[in-house]
Amino acid sequence: MTGPILEIDTLVKRFGSRTILDGLTMSVHPGEVVCFVGPSGTGKSTLLRCVNGLEDIQGGEIRFEGEKVEARSKRIVAVRKRIGMIFQQFNLYPHLTALENVVLAPVVVHGEARKEVEARARVLFEKVRLSHRIDAYPAQMSGGEQQRVAIARSLAANPHLLMFDEPTSALDPETVGDVLAVMRDLALEGRTMLVVTHEIRFAADVGTRMVFMDQGRIVEDRPPRDMLADPSTERAKRFLSSIQG
Amino acid sequence: MNQSWVAFLPLFVKAAGITIWLSWLALMIGAFGGTLIALMRTSRFLPLRLVALLYTEFFRSIPILIVLFFAYFGVPLVLGIDLPPFAAATCALALHASSTMSEVVRAGIESVGKGQWEAAHASGMRYPAIMRYVVGPQAIRVILPPSVGVYVATLKESSLASIIGYIELTKTGLLVRESTGGGFAPLLVLAVIYFLINYAISLGGAALERRFDVGQKFLTVGAGQ
Repeated sequence: MTGPILEIDTLVKRFGSRTILDGLTMSVHPGEVVCFVGPSGTGKSTLLRCVNGLEDIQGGEIRFEGEKVEARSKRIVAVRKRIGMIFQQFNLYPHLTALENVVLAPVVVHGEARKEVEARARVLFEKVRLSHRIDAYPAQMSGGEQQRVAIARSLAANPHLLMFDEPTSALDPETVGDVLAVMRDLALEGRTMLVVTHEIRFAADVGTRMVFMDQGRIVEDRPPRDMLADPSTERAKRFLSSIQG
Repeated sequence: MNQSWVAFLPLFVKAAGITIWLSWLALMIGAFGGTLIALMRTSRFLPLRLVALLYTEFFRSIPILIVLFFAYFGVPLVLGIDLPPFAAATCALALHASSTMSEVVRAGIESVGKGQWEAAHASGMRYPAIMRYVVGPQAIRVILPPSVGVYVATLKESSLASIIGYIELTKTGLLVRESTGGGFAPLLVLAVIYFLINYAISLGGAALERRFDVGQKFLTVGAGQ
């Protein structure tokens, strides 16, 4: 019996006078794939950004592997080292090749030997099916390729938790599938994942939990198939039917 | 007496070397100081930002000649130490160059998108590493072209050092003119030499830019906002 990897207790996040997260409580256990869905502007992305301290919080508490997450503390680095994050806009380093993008943090942050990291990176490029693009620069790659490099980059530091912030929202439709396929592989490996997404089918197939958020709160938190088959709230029902078309 | 200026050509060449050295030294000190000021300017600590802002605005707003006079005449009065003309000129030019460079470097740092900082932070990098490996290398592309301009400007401004009697290129030209009977030629020679030096710097700068430009790979949209 393992305890939760992530515990969020009555989290409050405000931007000025606007409340983005309104007393949100949840915990995540190792191996869970939690998909966050809901209308935009309801705090899903902000929630992820609070978990690794990219945003500071105004109330409540976040614990990652038992350690309190404090955005302004020096110890935040220790938390970030164990969490991989994938952004909507990829945010690859444009002056570095795909390989160098992946190698940078393990060498600079974790102090690993470059040779070993490169060897591991090559395996990761196989995993994201980009071995042939290892020396390309970000601007020479399609969005889908860039996002898969970003996934390899986040995996390079052997994170205990992966966070995906709308990973396919900025992609051309034809490249979305490649990225989702890689994410599916990761889920099958048993990785713990938080995924903010509008890809309901992916969430249904791959997610172990579906969290429906609205106005900074969790409205429903259930296995995806249950929620999709029979949303227990009117709000979720309306949203899911609108998004499924 | 009415000697030709041609006899003084070796002197001109030597003086040109002095001018290049003086302005290069001022630029290097200015680039170093300007980078520090720019880091303060982009810091999240308000006091640092204010000090940097004040420094930049102050030295941008007063004529270099006044700074030069302060260094040459003022420092001995206030601190009781004589600055030789070379040191005074270097100080004045470097102070001014640093205020200009701080704005150039700041623009370079700010040209790097927020997403780059976030990705680097999320991977556990701290400020110095982010500057060195992520933001710095991208900023340098934006910083380099105007820096060449700052060098050219500093080199031209170094002629002011002639006023406190430092024998650089301009002063040499004026001295040659006196000793050759006040003709027009020495001034023309001065202009030509300044032009040749600065044009060479511009060409060198363009070559440097090409070297730092990692192809088109860099600028394309979608890569790094």
